[in-house]
Amino acid sequence: MMEIVLAGFIDALGQFLRPENLASVLVDGLAKAAIYVMIAGGLTLIFGLMGVLNFAHGSMTMIGAYLGGLLMVFAVGGASGGATRLLVFFLTLAVTFALLAGLGGVVEVGLIRRLYDRPPVYQILLTFGLTLILDELVRIAVLFYGMQPTSDWQAALGTKPWFLSESVDLGLISVSGLSLFEIVVGAATVAGLWAFLTRTRYGLVIRAGSEDAEMTEALGIDVRRVFTVVFALGAGVAGVAGTLLMWDPAWGASVPLAADTLLPAFVVVIIGGLGTFRGTVVAAVIVGMADSVTTWWFVNEIDFASLPEMTIFLILVAMLILRPQGIFGVEEVGGH
Amino acid sequence: MTLLQVENAHTYYGESHILEGVSLEVEEGEVVALVGRNGVGKTTTLRTILQLTAPREGTVRYRGEDLTGRETHEVADMGVGWIPEERRIFTQLSVEENVRVAVPKDRDAREAIEQAFDTFPDLREFADRDAGTLSGGQQQMLALARGLVGENDLLLVDEPSEGLAPLIVERVAEALSNAAEDTTLLLVEQNLPLALDLADRFYVIDNGQVVDEGDADETAADDERLRRYLSA
Repeated sequence: MMEIVLAGFIDALGQFLRPENLASVLVDGLAKAAIYVMIAGGLTLIFGLMGVLNFAHGSMTMIGAYLGGLLMVFAVGGASGGATRLLVFFLTLAVTFALLAGLGGVVEVGLIRRLYDRPPVYQILLTFGLTLILDELVRIAVLFYGMQPTSDWQAALGTKPWFLSESVDLGLISVSGLSLFEIVVGAATVAGLWAFLTRTRYGLVIRAGSEDAEMTEALGIDVRRVFTVVFALGAGVAGVAGTLLMWDPAWGASVPLAADTLLPAFVVVIIGGLGTFRGTVVAAVIVGMADSVTTWWFVNEIDFASLPEMTIFLILVAMLILRPQGIFGVEEVGGH
Repeated sequence: MTLLQVENAHTYYGESHILEGVSLEVEEGEVVALVGRNGVGKTTTLRTILQLTAPREGTVRYRGEDLTGRETHEVADMGVGWIPEERRIFTQLSVEENVRVAVPKDRDAREAIEQAFDTFPDLREFADRDAGTLSGGQQQMLALARGLVGENDLLLVDEPSEGLAPLIVERVAEALSNAAEDTTLLLVEQNLPLALDLADRFYVIDNGQVVDEGDADETAADDERLRRYLSA
């Protein structure tokens, strides 16, 4: 009995290690990492500077998905070519970024600002309440237009250029065009945020404020305004992530997208170390790869398709036991 | 000219009454020391001036202007710098970034950083290192550099010698007395000989009030007036 299992395992391992399988697992993992880093990036910036756990972050991603879908559906006719659709998509990314950043700014100035001096539980309750309200408002709006809020918005999925639905031949392997596209957009988002944080004066101020907001204020910097900007930036990134997910059949624009993105985003942020952007990027790659590897095993070799979904939570549990502060976390972060 | 004037300041942390009516004055160009035991309100006095912990009663005036209730960044913009207890440098930023973040917007950053590195040559050597890897003495120099590039007219310096080896304390004292040639210093210092050496005048604080003041040059560290309030 043991020998049969072992032989089966070695056979499966042989399959897994074939270059074409490894390569497609790698691409798939990077695509997942790109999505994880985009849904978690804004969350980690906000927590790093302000110590606020924004439970409404998933709702902002979801709103970004619907807004992005709406803009695409309106702008793209059935006859639009692939290149036009791609161009419109990038404009849409800019618009959803701006709209969600505006929403984030309003939420910070109007609501969260009032609670900085209170214990964190107030901010958690506030943003959690906000997520219920936002989700319900979107549900009402979606139902009003005769759509089903819990299933993916097909019309938005249909605005994708044809070449993103096809497979791209990369010599050894063929990968989905969408995966490659997600990797490119994710990498560009990380590069953009990284450059902003490390190459600009404002980024420097954000990093200083993340470590010691009071000291930063005493250097003549209006930290409150920095808080508003960072909250808007984080919400804007969530909007960009949502717009990207609107094209991915594995996610799609739907109201449950809010909760579906919030949980993995928190997991990635905690694994990376609360509030460190670098940690979040590394954690997204780890989680994306683990997800992709287990998906391959549990779909191709062992028929237990729900396990991959558990993978990221298993990593979370292992992380919390072995290194509770996360990969790049310091013992005490956030707050001010 | 009176640069700073604190009048009857009452400051609280939550419900605990820390400053019970502190009044003091600092003239332009002076070095003034605040001395007193641990926990009597010296640090709180500095925080009150910066409006980090605004006074509930009383006023803080800087160049005749009322600061009470203003935002801390506005106070800093007016030329008040803070070199806090335990230095509070940004450990995850590089040494150069620590200086850069303190340069006011309207000042040329490169020039300001060059000037800081000329004053503290040790820092130039470690410009690209994470500031958290510096030794205590180097961190104190960095905190001082950060206070100086702000072109502040008044520096609030809190316990600069704390936790440093005697040789390093000497260098910090030298840096402070150099800084005092261009700026006014209000200095909190446990090391009484050092405080009296640097200062022109001193205030003794006890239980949240100014209980004595005097001329630093005419007072010895073992003076009976000081010992009453300083020995545990």
